Formats: sequence, structure tokens, C-alpha cells
Amino acid sequence: MPVLALDTSAAVSVALIDAEGRTLATRVVHEERRHAEQLAPMIADVLAATGTDRTALTGIVVGTGPAPFTGLRVGLVSARALGLALDIPVHGVCGLDAIAAQAAIDLSLAAGTEVLVVTDARRREVYWARYRVAGAAPQSLRVELVAGPGVASAAQVAADGHADGAIVVGPGASLYPEQLPPVDGAPTDPDPVVLARLALARVALGEDLPTEPLYLRRPDVVAPAPRKHVVTPAARKRALA
Amino acid sequence: MSAPLVLGIETSCDETGVALVRGKDLLFDAVASSMDEHARFGGIIPEIASRAHLEAMVPTIRRALEGADVDLGQVDAIAVTAGPGLVGPLTIGAAAAKALSIGLGVPLYGVNHVIGHAAVDELVHGSFPDQVMALVVSGGHSSLLLVDDIVTGVTELGSTLDDAAGEAFDKVGRLLGLPYPGGPHIDRLAREGDPTAIRFPRGLTAAKDQAEHAYDFSFSGLKTAVARWVETRTDAGQEIPVADVAASFAAAVADVLTAKTIAACRRHGVSTLVIGGGFSANSQLRDLAAVRCAEAGIELRIPPIRFCTDNGAMIAALGSAALSRGVAPSRLDLPVDSSMPLIRVTV
Repeated sequence: MPVLALDTSAAVSVALIDAEGRTLATRVVHEERRHAEQLAPMIADVLAATGTDRTALTGIVVGTGPAPFTGLRVGLVSARALGLALDIPVHGVCGLDAIAAQAAIDLSLAAGTEVLVVTDARRREVYWARYRVAGAAPQSLRVELVAGPGVASAAQVAADGHADGAIVVGPGASLYPEQLPPVDGAPTDPDPVVLARLALARVALGEDLPTEPLYLRRPDVVAPAPRKHVVTPAARKRALA
Repeated sequence: MSAPLVLGIETSCDETGVALVRGKDLLFDAVASSMDEHARFGGIIPEIASRAHLEAMVPTIRRALEGADVDLGQVDAIAVTAGPGLVGPLTIGAAAAKALSIGLGVPLYGVNHVIGHAAVDELVHGSFPDQVMALVVSGGHSSLLLVDDIVTGVTELGSTLDDAAGEAFDKVGRLLGLPYPGGPHIDRLAREGDPTAIRFPRGLTAAKDQAEHAYDFSFSGLKTAVARWVETRTDAGQEIPVADVAASFAAAVADVLTAKTIAACRRHGVSTLVIGGGFSANSQLRDLAAVRCAEAGIELRIPPIRFCTDNGAMIAALGSAALSRGVAPSRLDLPVDSSMPLIRVTV
């Protein structure tokens, strides 16, 4: 009863886990471009390496961002199309949730601890979300969203008080350590194994997990410039003379 | 045994096209367009198109399957546009196609969009004869192709050096204050005007251009000539005879496209011409091509307009042709190529 998980928010990562959440195989390629070329061979590879027939898959889990648009869509459309081909459910999980849950485990955070997750949004901004660790046991994946997700400069996130009283984790923090000082030993990219475990836990609670992308930004639209005249002022003068 | 069933996916611009083709029979063609979202910006916004492709992909595949009355499990191969086109939109189609290929355990064929515009005519008018000339004209392309075999024998004789024909129409439409996309508006106005009212230039038709650019096109100079004519008149406080400008401009475009294409047919001894791509909807081009082909004894084949604009059927048709010729499937790491050369039919 394996579940395939994939994430294309920064690195391209793929994992195969069994119904109990145990990892069967993982693949990660740290390259911020060419997601569309990397992902499909990695999916084929985890299936082949574990001897898993594609028809044995029982679900797909995909990271829904927030992330740069083009790479994010590669993961989402791949997950949706694979789900359609295999007629199995596709579950979406916010990548920042996975980093928060992973941080709670890696750093052995006590229940009630608040975590600010920040990732690189490019353009001198970060994607951010703030969570509270809800579960008591170290293996619990229960993190509750307190604020966000949003996109802003690190200085703005700090000025808005989102880091106050929280442990700061994620790759966005190491980019802007002066505004958002990170803790050591925290995870960086969303781990697809954690994404998958979160999805399984949420599905067990009866939650609906849509795969809508968390773009958080409107499309860049450059309004058309006024048309340039081809007749020069001098030529115009001559013509009118 | 029936011919293989191919599912084709097209996402090179603003249309999400999915179609099912069995051999050379089209079973169903589904298209979703985001054009309405772009019109107010006066051009295609790639990010808006990409977002629309993501949302439209699975529903459009489902619609095509329902229309064709087949199950995804019956599909024998997936074909997808690998280029040329807009990178963001191309990427969505390619990723979806690869996932379907893995999920169904069937081969994947990345194919050339421009050649697909010619290939689709085989679904409509039957198999090509031994040799055909193909003129592919749209908002993004203006190419003249000599086709010995739609998969293994395509030669690019010429293409536009600057604007595509449809692009020139949109730009002149803007100059004349017409809504985007300007092509259909100019077409309509041109029917009311005098095509001989203004003698606009015919790009790359001078004797000196024949050595290197006999079959290439250039519409940038024409567009500038129209702008200069209109501005000079406007500055002098004169009325602009919009219908005559539209008719004279459209006549110049149709004249160059057809003259060079017929000359290429004569030169290569080709007696069948296929015109494809969104701009083949243009009535001045259709009319002049019909007249000149009749004069030259050339059979003219133009698919219905819904197969001239971007669609999945053209991609499924070319994928089906590749499959029938035993071409090796594409690899799962196939890259999309925004400027895919026309010498590459499949990747």
C-alpha cells in the first residue's frame, strides 16, 4: 500500500512510503531549475528501485508551496495527472507545514513552542508561516498554523512581530540572519516523507487536502507601453510644412 | 486489430488542448482557452496562461476522454508539444504528459508544435500525397515547410525574420485602435475596404533578396509603413480611411505569403499545399490562396478553423504518425524547447 510523495518547491524530491509511514525510498536533486526534466525520471526511479508496480500505489501526496511558480506547478500537475492515470487520490500539503513538523521532531520541541518557518521567495522576500507545536510526543507531527502563510521581506516579517517568541527555521532565515536569526540544526527543505506522513495523519482525521497552489503573489503583468510613433518630429514638421 | 490510441496534449500558448486520435481518425478534441484573461493586457501573459493550464489540465483530459468515449487505460501512447512556444505553458503540458506516461505505462512522444499544425490536416482531409508544401502561419509562427514525410522528412524552406503574420495583424490592430487580438477585426474591416487603395511594401520580394531570402518573410517593415502612413495623415488632420488601410495591409500580407508559397511549390514541383496555424483563418489569405492555387494547378488544403488554432488533435496526429513509423519514444527527462527548430519533429 505505498504512497508516492513529491515536492518541487525548491529542490526536487520524491519519496515512497508505506501505509505505516515507513520510508521505502527517497530521491532528492538540489537544482532550482529544470524541475520538469528531473521529476519524472525520479518518480520512475523510486518505483523501479523498490520493485513497486505503479498500480500498487494507493495515493499521491504533493507539496503545494508556497514556492516559485514554474517549479511548483511541475509538481502539482504531475501529481494530479498521475492520480488521474492511476485513479487514486491526490493530497496537497503546504511545504512550510512539513518544515515545521520536521523541526519539532529534529529539535525535540515541547508542546506549545512556536515556530516561524521562512523559505526563499526570491526578489529579496521570504515565504513565512508561524506554527505552534501541538503534540507532546517527539514523534508527533501535530503543528497548528498560527499565522500566515505570507510573503514579505525578512525585515517586514520581523517588524510585524512574527518572529517574536518563536524559534526561526528554514532556508529563508539563513539568507537574512540579521532580521530573522535561525536556530542551528533545523531542517531546510520540505521532506517528502514528512509531507506524506502529515497527509496520512490528516486524511485519517477526515480532512480534505486540496492541491491548489500557494502562489501568494499575483502574476507579473506589465501593462503595454504606449505605442511609439514612427514618424519623427522633424519628419512631421516637414510633412506639415 | 485497430490502430493505436494516442492522447495528445498541447500547451504552447494560451490554449489547453487535449485530443484522442486512433490512427488517422480523430475521436475527440477538447480545448480550454485563457484568452479572455489576456485580452485586457493586449497580449498573452505567460504567468496567467500557465496558471490557467494547471487548473484546466485534468478537467480537459477528462472532457476529451468522455467525448471520445474511451478510458485512460485504453490509451497506447501520449504525445505532447515539446516546443516551440512559451516555456511556462510548455512545462505544464510536458509534466502532465510524463506523469500520464508513467501512470499508464505507455510511451511518450514530445513533438513539434509547428509541424503539428500541418499534420492535423491528415485527420481532416486524409493522408498526404508523397510531397506537400506546408505554410504554417499564426500569431507566433510563419514558416514554409517542404514535407516529404511528416515525421522523417520535413525541410524548412523559410520563416519570418521578424514578426509572425498574426503578430503583425495584432500590432496594426493596435495602431488602428482595434481591440486585442486585432486579427479578426482587421479581417472584418478589410472586407469593406479597397485592397488597392494604398500600396504598402511587400517584404523580401526585391530581386536582391531572392538569393538568400526567397522563401523567408518579413512583416516588420510593412507594419512600420502602415504606422507611418496613418501617423502622417493623422498629423495633417486628415481622416483615416480605416477600412482601406486594413484592406491594403491585409492584401500585402496575403500577397507575400501566397506568392512565395506558390513559387516554392513550382520550384520543388509540389502540387499540394496545406495551410495551417491560427492565421489561416484570415479570409484575405484564404481567398488569395484559393485563386492562386487554382491558377497554378495546386490542390489547396486548409483544415477547418478549430483545427487551425492551437489544439490537442494536431499533437495527437503527429504523435500517432511518429508511432506508426516506429520512431523511438522520448525520454522522461525530455526538455521543453521554446525555440525548438523545425528540423526536429520529435524529441
